[in-house]
Amino acid sequence: MEISIIQAGLLGLFACLASMPGMGGSAIGNYTLGRPLVGGLVCGLILGDVRTGILVGSAMQLLYIALVTPGGTVSADVRAVSYIGIPLAMLALKSYGLDAASADGIGLATSFGAMVGTLGTVLFYGTATMNLIWQHIGWEAVEKGEFKKLYIVDMVLPWISHIVCSFIPTFIICLMGAGMVDTIKNVLPMDGLAMKTIFTVGSLLPCVGIAILLKQIITKATDFVPFFFGFALAASLGINLVVATIIAAMFALMNYQIKTLSLNKSTVSAADTDDEEEDI
Amino acid sequence: MKKLSKKTLNKSFRNWYYGHLTCFSQEHMQTFGYLCSMLPIVEELYETKEEQKEALETYSAFFNTEPQLGTVIVGITAGLEEARANGENVDSETINGLRAGLMGPVAGIGDSLVVGVLIPLLLGIGLGLSTDGSPLGAIFYIFAWNIVVTLGMRMLYFKGYEFGGKAVEFLTGEKSMALRESVMMLGSMVIGAVAATWVNVTTVFQMVNPETGEAYLKLNDQINSVLPKGLTAVFVILCWYLISKKKMSPLKVMLLLVVIAFVGVLVGFFDPQLTY
Repeated sequence: MEISIIQAGLLGLFACLASMPGMGGSAIGNYTLGRPLVGGLVCGLILGDVRTGILVGSAMQLLYIALVTPGGTVSADVRAVSYIGIPLAMLALKSYGLDAASADGIGLATSFGAMVGTLGTVLFYGTATMNLIWQHIGWEAVEKGEFKKLYIVDMVLPWISHIVCSFIPTFIICLMGAGMVDTIKNVLPMDGLAMKTIFTVGSLLPCVGIAILLKQIITKATDFVPFFFGFALAASLGINLVVATIIAAMFALMNYQIKTLSLNKSTVSAADTDDEEEDI
Repeated sequence: MKKLSKKTLNKSFRNWYYGHLTCFSQEHMQTFGYLCSMLPIVEELYETKEEQKEALETYSAFFNTEPQLGTVIVGITAGLEEARANGENVDSETINGLRAGLMGPVAGIGDSLVVGVLIPLLLGIGLGLSTDGSPLGAIFYIFAWNIVVTLGMRMLYFKGYEFGGKAVEFLTGEKSMALRESVMMLGSMVIGAVAATWVNVTTVFQMVNPETGEAYLKLNDQINSVLPKGLTAVFVILCWYLISKKKMSPLKVMLLLVVIAFVGVLVGFFDPQLTY
């Protein structure tokens, strides 16, 4: 069994739609097409073997059943799992003559899923980094008042990122077959300078986003106190975001009540002076 | 009295529904999706380019949350923006304080309920239906998830919009200054928690005793014993300082971070320690 150019192209297209951040939108794209169970159906239809596709997809789905991507930190990439991992696992099963429903078949599918999942995180960082270019165009458009350009920036230009980081890798790897995954792992080792830098930049960049938000909210030095209060709640006490918000809300409520109390006081005293004036 | 038409609200909802993550970057995450969903609203409410630009700039601040549940936040700001266009005293800081205060808990609830419960639940049912390789389970998941999430997001958007309109009374009355300050305070605390939860900067730098080969100083542990996740705090504050005080553009700050990362990796300060 081999994957034809048209089949590889279709898989590449679905990879563009299904990834996070993908061109299918997160409801239809990432959370529908990106799920390995659905990916198994799509790959099965494209490659003409729905049963194997679904079985392989199910095995990988169990691995990633609760894949949460908090704050855009990605531990495994669904475009790679569903549209590189599933086709390659299907190919491997065919070449070893294994049945997808057998324990060995499921084991093979699962290990393929785990392997390409981490490989795919590189694609995630690549897409997100390339989108910075379009966002830069977006800021200039807002500055010039060309607001309609925002739609192009948000919904059209990221296609370029996906052609580079989703379509081409999927197309080539699917066409070349399973040997390609090993080649990539050798050319771009995780402990090499390039990969290390990419992942370090990925962990540093969210600081800029937080800093931009802080610029809006912090006007004087004392405003840092509530910021570090929240920081300490999460970092030192390990409190999650919902509970941290409840605690923060309590402090905000107390602040509000103290402020309104002083507001009432000043209106009362203002009323007093009015009375005195009348007396005179 | 300006009133947003149903058509505009639908358009704003659709833009969010589709576009919230399409132009995702690590720096601005969902900001452009937010801008696109506010654009139809801003265009209908304000006549001149200047007014439109001023309103849009409110939404140019960093935004990221769980996008399905987060629809409610977009709805609320649509309601607030309508009130602002009608001369109510809602300012950008209040809107951003609210957005910052809401995005943390909404992400926390959304990640655990939508991504952590609803999706695995539907997938679990789907896997059960597909054990023999039948496509039924996958088809079940496609329909069940999309119907639930689309209707749910629609409802959240329009409920949020109604709520935003009502919330204005609280935000603009004579107690508004007190409320504004409290909302901002809540916002900064949540952002602090968000930074500590989502951002993770660590170093592998250590001093090794050449004779025993044991590390006697692990910098990351030392920093954490002063302030847990201290290095993350240092980088957030550094970025804030460069952007706010040195008036550097975010783009330049990012390029600087790329250089820092590269040099850091080169000298062995940073190492993500990942393997395939």
